[in-house]
Amino acid sequence: MGTPRMLNRRTLLAATAGTLAVPALTGAQSANTLRITGWGGRWGEIMRQDIIPGFEKANSCRVEVDTAFPFVPKLMASPRGKPVYDVFHSNTNEQWAVFEQGLVEKRPDLTKVPNAAAIYPYATSDDIIGIVIFTSAIGLAWRRDKVATPPVSWKDFWDPRFAGQRGAYVIPANSLGQALFMMAGRLYGSGYKDLDASFKAMERMRPVRLFDFTGGTENAMLSGELSLTVLHDTAVYRNQDKVPVEFCAPSEGVVSLEQVLSVTKGTQMSALAHEWINYMLSPQVQKMMAEEVWYSPVRRDMQLGEKYRGKLLTTPEQVATLIQMPWQWYNGQKDRIDDRVNRIFRN
Amino acid sequence: MRPAFLAACGLILAFLLTPVLIVICFALNPEPFIAFPPSGISLRWFGKFFASRDFMAAFWLSLGLGLATVVIAGLIGTLAAIALSRGRFPGRAVLVQLFLSPIVLPSILTGFALFQLAMVAGLGRNLGILLAGHLVVATPYVLRTVLAMLAQSDRALEEAARNLGATPARAFREVTLPLIRPGVMAGMLFAFIVSFDQFPVSLFLVSPGQETLPIAMFNYLRFDFDGTIAAASCVSILLAVILVIGIERMIGLQEYTRL
Repeated sequence: MGTPRMLNRRTLLAATAGTLAVPALTGAQSANTLRITGWGGRWGEIMRQDIIPGFEKANSCRVEVDTAFPFVPKLMASPRGKPVYDVFHSNTNEQWAVFEQGLVEKRPDLTKVPNAAAIYPYATSDDIIGIVIFTSAIGLAWRRDKVATPPVSWKDFWDPRFAGQRGAYVIPANSLGQALFMMAGRLYGSGYKDLDASFKAMERMRPVRLFDFTGGTENAMLSGELSLTVLHDTAVYRNQDKVPVEFCAPSEGVVSLEQVLSVTKGTQMSALAHEWINYMLSPQVQKMMAEEVWYSPVRRDMQLGEKYRGKLLTTPEQVATLIQMPWQWYNGQKDRIDDRVNRIFRN
Repeated sequence: MRPAFLAACGLILAFLLTPVLIVICFALNPEPFIAFPPSGISLRWFGKFFASRDFMAAFWLSLGLGLATVVIAGLIGTLAAIALSRGRFPGRAVLVQLFLSPIVLPSILTGFALFQLAMVAGLGRNLGILLAGHLVVATPYVLRTVLAMLAQSDRALEEAARNLGATPARAFREVTLPLIRPGVMAGMLFAFIVSFDQFPVSLFLVSPGQETLPIAMFNYLRFDFDGTIAAASCVSILLAVILVIGIERMIGLQEYTRL
């Protein structure tokens, strides 16, 4: 039996030094690296190919995009003074959730974002945490080959002729489903916050096919499994060359599905984060994302090509049709709503 | 009795294989959406998958990660199993349970806990952390299968080798290892599959720009819902089939029936 090797002082020092050096060797944030959240699909392609390289060159930096969901728990789990992201990109409901956890600033410093002077007021309204960079309009998508009388109102979604032919979302998991829930409160009750009216409307919505992701609904519309669904205009317009699908902006207005940027609290890259936000609001980025991905820009001075007119929301009259939902209130009620709608749709 | 047994087996097989067949149908459907029945046969989605820089990078990363996991988890799991099976020290049973606990815990919790640990320790996210995460969830499979083989093997054979003058290393190489080889191989096969298909742990540990195939597929699925996903799934299935056939050719799958 051999003599056990004892831990001597030299070994201990070497081990300690090695341990302390690990962050520097592996994980410490590289100087001048901006870490942001982002999406996949066409959004990711355009960002990677056309938008990020321009920013990196102009600012001599690197942009690291995390496209692996979920972002909120990752941000919550990172140390407060050392957030895993510098800029948090998400929809409004998630921005409210992280703001209430104290993880992001309520608003970027607009004095460091000169392009903010050219955007519509809704992009920095009281319903928004951070600043809106693009918007999709949530309305009703319908198939021309399956629907004889096109929908005109949100109430048409509950029309018995669409029973079993309409698609919606798993409300606990999808913000379009949550928007529809609040819209039902306005249609059949006293307003967006009328929970009882919304719950009753959810019961009347059955039979309905529910999806987790907009991608699932989009596919079901493309394949003709659905005649009518709640969907954002971006998903409809980019598929109109493939199948006979139309977007209906209901008479009550379209729900605003904002893409929002906020600066995380404690970021070491605050200046670069503000540069990034300013860049995303620049005319060239706004125009490119509008014309390549079908997002409505937030700048007031955008002139888009002919095929985008009347579809993307660029004029003050079009922007006035956007409805911003009370997401802060919704997040506060979420557990209660989730529990009840799960029971409604389970039965 | 025999027809009823065969019918039951057929039903179980159908239950297991139908999803695979549906995925293959979707992958070969030329339409720009997933629909059944398919309107024709096309390889366009396979073309898109193999032409996609993101998917291919994710595929090679998953493959490399899977192979690294196989080697390291195979080594750690085998040596740990021998120590736990043959060693005589207090707390062995507790250690066995501890090593096997990642199988019991929901992987999403393991992933989240590792992410938090990496953040608090200032390690950030990188390939090393991702590999460590895969090892945590894959090693118990090697440990479990090797422990099973060690429990069945006759220890007197090892003692005989030692009595005849073999060194511990030689006794291990020439007696113990051949005895436990099916367990080691089966464990390594499981480790590869667990790593290659790993989603919950990777979800938290992948670093930006370095996504594994399941994560790349999930991200794609959220925004684009075409046959590329089905093609990617077919490639994963094909890889698993090749792996199983390879092992069958090398050592024979019948060996695993002993486990």
